[in-house]
Amino acid sequence: MADILGTFEQAVLLSVLRLGEDAYGRAILRGVQERLDRDVAAGAVHATLERLAKKGLVASRLGTGTPMRGGRARRFYKVQAKGVRALNDARATANSLWHGFGWPLKGYF
Amino acid sequence: MSVTANPPRWAEALLRALLKPGDFEGVSGDLLEQYRDSIHPARGQLRADWWYATQVFTFVSPGIRLFAALFSAQFLVRTATDWFQPPATFFFRSTISTALGIGILVTAGFWAAWRSGSFATGALAGTLTAGIASIASIAGAAVMLAVWHDPQTMAAIRSSGGFAEVISLPLFMVLPGALLGACGGIASAVLKKLLA
Repeated sequence: MADILGTFEQAVLLSVLRLGEDAYGRAILRGVQERLDRDVAAGAVHATLERLAKKGLVASRLGTGTPMRGGRARRFYKVQAKGVRALNDARATANSLWHGFGWPLKGYF
Repeated sequence: MSVTANPPRWAEALLRALLKPGDFEGVSGDLLEQYRDSIHPARGQLRADWWYATQVFTFVSPGIRLFAALFSAQFLVRTATDWFQPPATFFFRSTISTALGIGILVTAGFWAAWRSGSFATGALAGTLTAGIASIASIAGAAVMLAVWHDPQTMAAIRSSGGFAEVISLPLFMVLPGALLGACGGIASAVLKKLLA
């Protein structure tokens, strides 16, 4: 089994996956906020991307700058095969945990 | 949308110091893009600058926050023992709490410099640790005072230097924090060289 992903890591990886070629910092941040339906700190997404890169789940490359960014380049991220495996494992684990339960839970209280 | 609006220079400088050199361009570009594209036009200069500064502080690593929590905790424990168990002489307690404080700030500097590979990061880590801890310590002491302000405790507070000292001491630690963090940073650089 690949790395066990936390919820936030899954949200970041899924946002990168969904954005495809356009997955750079600000777009990923927006994607994570939409996915989790709450405000998310830019620093938290950056730290997570750094951790995922260290684990080999994502790779990054620098693009080109724009005047709006003061000429500073965008860093684009791409999910690696190991990242896809980790997401699949996370989903399988959740499915297995929930096996035998309906959703939403009803009638227990 | 304004391509000429700029966030505060100090905040950009702080962001540069908090990030690894290879990360600054992408991260600062993202923040600048959002600042110019949506935040500045919607909120104006002052509130946009505030937004930028708060974003920069989200890049303070959890490690620094942990050291700040430790520093603040040791300060509050010392304050509480002085208030509730006043000693005949403060020398022993002062020695212990000073040593602990120095140890935490030097370790914060050492840790940050070890991770980043730059001894200057140690000074920044020491400053941030002491700065964040000072806010937490003052807030914690104020809560303690709000809860315990009976005559006996008030007398103990006066005999231990007064509440003004409890408020000012954490703030006075910011500059020494920078120096001690730098010492930790230098120690880290020396150890790295020796190991290499």
